[in-house]
This record gives sequence, structure tokens and C-alpha cells, in this order.
Amino acid sequence: MGKYIKDRKPSEDNWMPYTGLEDSDTLPSGDIYVPLEAWKERRDELLTRNSRLGVILENTDDVSEIIDDLDRLDLVVLQFPKMVDGRAFTQARLLRERLKYKGEIRAVGDVLQDQVFYMQRCGFNAFELRDDQDLNSVLKAFDEMSVTYQGAADVDAPIWRR
Amino acid sequence: MAYTVYTASLLKEGLVAYLSIRDGETSWTTDVNRATSTETVDDSILSTEAERSEQENIVVGVYSVEVTRDGDRLVPTENRERIRAGGPTVALPAAKNTTANARVAA
Amino acid sequence: MYQYSQADHQLLLERVTQFRDQVSRRLKGELSEDEFKQQRLRNGLYLQLHAYMLRVAVPYGLLSSEQMRTLAHIARRYDRGYGHFSTRQNIQYNWPKLEEVPEILDALAAVEMHAIQTSGNCIRNTTSDPLAGVARDEVADPRPYCELIRQWSTFHPEFNFLPRKFKIAVSGAIHDRAAVAVHDIGLRLVKNESDELGLEVYVGGGLGRTPMIGKLIREFLPVHDILTYLEAILRVYNQFGRRDNLYKARIKILVHETGEDEFRKQVEAEWENVKASKLRLRDEDIEAISAHFKDPDYEILPDNDADFDNHLITNPEFAKWVDNNLELHKKPGYRIAYLSLKSPDQPPGDVTADQMDAIADLADRYSLGQIRSTHRQNLVLSDVKLTDLFELWEELTKLGLATPNYNHLTDIISCPGMDYCALATARSIPIAQALTDRFESYDYVNDLGDISLNISGCINACGHHHVANIGILGVNKKGVEVYQLTLGGSAREDAAIGKILGPAFTADEIVDAIGEVLEVYLENREDSEEDFLTTYRRIGQSPFKERLYG
Ligand code: SF4
Repeated sequence: MGKYIKDRKPSEDNWMPYTGLEDSDTLPSGDIYVPLEAWKERRDELLTRNSRLGVILENTDDVSEIIDDLDRLDLVVLQFPKMVDGRAFTQARLLRERLKYKGEIRAVGDVLQDQVFYMQRCGFNAFELRDDQDLNSVLKAFDEMSVTYQGAADVDAPIWRR
Repeated sequence: MAYTVYTASLLKEGLVAYLSIRDGETSWTTDVNRATSTETVDDSILSTEAERSEQENIVVGVYSVEVTRDGDRLVPTENRERIRAGGPTVALPAAKNTTANARVAA
Repeated sequence: MYQYSQADHQLLLERVTQFRDQVSRRLKGELSEDEFKQQRLRNGLYLQLHAYMLRVAVPYGLLSSEQMRTLAHIARRYDRGYGHFSTRQNIQYNWPKLEEVPEILDALAAVEMHAIQTSGNCIRNTTSDPLAGVARDEVADPRPYCELIRQWSTFHPEFNFLPRKFKIAVSGAIHDRAAVAVHDIGLRLVKNESDELGLEVYVGGGLGRTPMIGKLIREFLPVHDILTYLEAILRVYNQFGRRDNLYKARIKILVHETGEDEFRKQVEAEWENVKASKLRLRDEDIEAISAHFKDPDYEILPDNDADFDNHLITNPEFAKWVDNNLELHKKPGYRIAYLSLKSPDQPPGDVTADQMDAIADLADRYSLGQIRSTHRQNLVLSDVKLTDLFELWEELTKLGLATPNYNHLTDIISCPGMDYCALATARSIPIAQALTDRFESYDYVNDLGDISLNISGCINACGHHHVANIGILGVNKKGVEVYQLTLGGSAREDAAIGKILGPAFTADEIVDAIGEVLEVYLENREDSEEDFLTTYRRIGQSPFKERLYG
């Protein structure tokens, strides 16, 4: 797999995506994440597994659909199909701030040096970088700005109330 | 008779530029009259060279423009391209003592 | 004026550093043009027809004289000696070099200015009433709320990649001088029966190819809730705004397609979740920001002056200017002066570096060191003593900034059009100039009274032609520039979208066509008090149509 950062450190990614389109109907072993549809359909079966579980959401999915399962989910994957498609920023904030989700929120797709600063503010703590990205530059980008005006997932108050 | 020239914007300066190939050397000129057209060089060579310059980050946004020859001058057929080649058609306001950047493309 | 805190300064410095790095990655080829474009746009940098264009934010149209001098310096040192004030109160430079933009941003940062979010699909620079804080018809000063919106929206992590650009305008007066009805969100400060301050919230206004007047989504929003409510609207938009079609991506389409009531429901539902958050303003938050916009120490002055009266009698040119380019001030003995950027000699909104420097000096001498920019592309000195007006006028006359045409026919809004703009389908400045030449007679223009004429060089409508009494839209018809006329628009509190009159005119015909339109108005008005729009609304389009196409 490509370059993966978790909690601001380059890390080993042990998760396996399961899309539901695989030839075999049997779920792979180990930690897997599945699309929301598959989660809804095979929830009971999935919950009997001993491995960790995750869900990948389309950026049109309503995050509140997994509200009852947040305790059982160790990973929620949110997508940036294009750099300019910013819907997952909202999804991440809702998960972290409103639904108080504590597990990993991972950004996939166009995950770029100039975006990760905003992503982390919205509650992302894991990043599958696009292949062409320079890992070290991205790691630095988390601290590119020290001033923030608004409250978000990282700090709950706007600057004038801190 | 209509010919084709290749145009783009210079990455660093942003100015309008035209592909010129002289003695086998590719360069970009801000003077449309110095552009190399399909009158003398094959379209395929021009387009390959233009795209290469874009890949090499010398220019941005390459495309081709139709021109006609009027003596020494190359005149784009389309109004927009004529303005692009010639600059704004209105008198530019100007301060006294403007030091930099002025009249580069004039 | 708002004084930057340490954090505000720090943020600008970090932003410049970041952009410098982005430029250098681009020049080295590490960033593709596609991706760099997203970054440069968020810093106001376009690639236009002839060159890069840098749009510098003038937050809600307020400038200090020091800032104006820096703008002049930038025009001289890095550009071609002039700048252009836009309909969004910002200033644009037409010839900067990419390599030098970080230096320009350094110079701006040194005077608390920047180009942040002046373009791109994010929340743009907030615009406001250029007479904020000095107007007689003011309910409340909009500037503190503009500043709060500036802070809230700057690098908002959630709303930096919206479906499309997003413009907010705030007005605090009875008369709308900020065109709030044609913004993605328009806010008007109002008082309720209990004399509490709140906001009317309009959503989904906008121009472009589908012009729409904003819908009143909330009649009274307590001011304390302004930011939470904005956050709710933006969140609904970010999730549900269309991303499949560039032309349908603005919030006006979302409101239209969702339906006003359903959209309101969605916003209110989201707001329930955020309204108690720390984003809700406390009294002390509002007070702290408002302290930046306290009245200066105005002198107690009589509201008349014998010398002034004398000049009015002896100097008819001065009298014309006083008649047209002044507005009453909330304090006696002071006046608000409009500096017309619509002289016959320069494109609408353009200012040379020399003029900028001179304006800065005049602001220091006569108007407490401040300048404002207006959405009609003029400048304002907001605090001029009655006793200084004559001197000011003499200076402005020398500078070519005293054309007595404010809110008159030749006070034309014009976008840059095909002389500068890569998206244009026709030129607009030459049309503005031809009209200015044709209607140079003061008496004629003055007799026409209050009228607005706006020109856009393409359907994107940056020249706000839809909301002009007389609108001109340049289009390309089989390679020829032609101009479509719309009549009856208004950008004020009675906002309306103009209607197309008929087939387009060529560049040669359009000036005469406007002449005919004006004649029809003059022939039909009840008396010289009845302005163009009132007459038009009374008699409708047919008399105009018959004259032009009959
Ligand atoms: S209206 Fe069109 S031509 Fe005019 S500035 Fe906007 S995009 Fe350019």
C-alpha cells in the first residue's frame, strides 16, 4: 500500500478493504472495512467477527446512519474523490464533534499536502496519501499554520473565546 | 491563407506567448509576429514542442490559434485572439515613474 | 478600523510562507497546474487573458491611508502603475508576475492586508455598506459583524472546498448600499418590536447566468446567533449543493431546487444542533469587536459655513459636485464625499498609483486617514468637515476624481471585459467609454437624475448588469461582439432583475440605443422628480421596445 499517516506518524496500514464486489462472498480475515451498504446488509455477520471493523462512506452518505454502531467501529473511511470535493470535511466534523466518535477517521483519495491541515482540524487522524505526495512535506504541513480562528474538531471555541 | 500558431501563458510571468522554432531551437515569444506558424513548420512538430514546454513547466494552457499573414505580421482570425496578441484595446491608465514590469509585452 | 492582533499578524505571515512554498513547488514542477490553480485561486491569483491577475481583499471596503499607499507602491513596483476596484470592493492588479507574488503578499501583510479567499470555491471577502458607521439611515454598524464573519470564514477548515464560490454581504442601514439581495447570503441588521438587534437573512441571491433575488429565510435572527446560523447554512450547502454541474452549483440553485420552505427547514434543523455552541456570540464578544469601530472623536461643529455657501454661489463647478457627490453625515458639520472613479479618461474603477498616493494624503488631511471602496466601483472619504470640502474638491479636481456623476448615468459599473478577462465574450470598457463620451453633458446627465447603468462582458455578470436600471451584456454572435439590453433592474432595497428588451445591438448601435431609451424615459416621466426606475415600472417595457424595435 501507499503512504499512510496515522496520528501524525508514518504508519503501517493493517486494514483490508472489502468492497462487496469481490469474486468470493467470504469476507477476508483480519481487520476489514466495508461500504455502508454492505455494513447494513451483513451487520450481524460482521459483528460476530473477532477482528476490528470499519466502514467506508460515500461522501453522499449520511453519517448518522452508523450512529448506533460507533462503539463497534474502529475505523470510518471518508473519501475525497477529487481535491475540490469538500463534503467529507463536514462528515468528519459531524462524526467527531456531534456523534463523539473516538475511533480512526481516515481520509482517502486526493489526500494532499495542502489539504491535510484542514482535514486534521475537521477530525481526521489518518491519511492515505495520494501516491505522488512527499511524505515528509506532508508531515510538516500539519503545523504549517499555528493560528486558527474557528472552533472545529481540534479546539471547540473560536479564537475570541480561547 | 490561414495558418496555425501555438500559444500559451508563460508560467513565471503569466504573459501571453507564442511558440517559436528557429534553427531547431524552441522558444516562446510575446510577439505574435515572431511566432512560428504552420506556414513553415509542420503542425505535428509545433504541437509536440508546445506540449513539451507545458510539461516542462515553461508555459501553461497551450492551445492553437488560427492566424493569417499580412505582410510581416501574423493576425489572429478571432477577435479574442487579436486582443490577446495586442493587449487591451483601451488606453491604460498610467502613473508617472512606474518602475517595473511596464510595457514588457508592448 | 479593526486593529490586527498578534494572532492575525502571525496568520498572515504563515499564509505568505505557505504560498511562497506553493509557488516554488509549482515552479519546480512538483505541483501540477491543476492543483496549483486551486491553491493560487484561494490566494486571489488568476491567470487572465494577458497575464496573472491578483485580487487583494479590502475587508468590507475599509482602507487606511497607509494601506492605500502600499497599494500604490505595489502598482508601481510590481504592476503597471494602476489598479482596478471591483464590484466587490476589492482591488485587482492586472500584471503581476507569479515569481513576485509572494513579495507582493509580504508587502500587503506588513499593512494587515492579504489576498486570502478572494477567489476559489470558498467563502469570499465579506462586503458591506461603504457608509457604515457614518450614514444617517443606519440601524446599526455592520462592520463588527463583518469582522466577525471575516474571522470565522478565514481558513474555515470545513468550508474551504464548497461546491462553488460563496459571497456574503451585510448592510446595517435602511437603504441598501451593499446589494445584499444578490449575494449567496445577504444580511440586513434590523430591530424588532422590543428594540433588540437582529438580522434579516436572505439566501440564494446571485447574478451570473441564472440571476436570482435572495429569499428571506429568516425574518429576525438575534445578532448573537449570526455565526452559528451561517455555519448551519454553509453546512447544508456543503453537503447538498450540486457538484455535478458547475452552472448549478451556487446555493441559489440549491435553494431553488430544494424549495424555500424545505431549505429553511434543513437550515433550522442543522441550526438546532449548533446554536448553543461556543460559536454563539456573547455580549462581551460583540462588545470587544465593536470597540474597534467606535466613533472617532468628532468635533462639535455647526452644520453650516458661510465660506462654503459662498463657494457654492460663486463656483458652479463646485456646486455641481456638492449636489451630486456628497451625502449627509450622521454628525453635523461633516459630509461624506464620493470620489468618482468614472472620469472620461480612465476605465471605470481604475486608479493610478499617483492617484492612490494622493488619495491617501487627502484622507489624512481631510478624513481621519480612512478610505472606503464601494460596490459601484467608487471611493469614499467618509468624514470630511464642511469647512474642508472646497479644498478637497479643488484637489480632487486636479486628480480627475471629482466628476460630478455619483449615481448618475455615467457612474457606470463595468467589468474588465475582453480587454482583460479570459472568460469574456465581448469588451465592456470601450462601451463604457463611448457612453461617457456621448453623454458628457453635465446638464443632460443631471436632468436624468438617479439612474444606474452597468456593463458585463459575459454571462458571468461581474458587471452586475442584471440589477442595473439599464443593463448591458456583451455577447459573441458569430465572432462579432454584440450587446444585449436589459431594463428595470435594481440592486437596492427594491432589488429586481432586469428584463431583456429584445435582440442585441452591435457596438456601433448600442450607444444610440441607450440614447433612445433615455429619450423614452424623459418623454414619459411625470416630472423631473420621477426617476428612471419609477417611470419604467409605471409604463413597462413596451414604449421602450416600440421605440427601439418598432
Ligand atoms: S462578467 Fe465575464 S467578462 Fe466580465 S469580468 Fe466577469 S467573467 Fe470576465
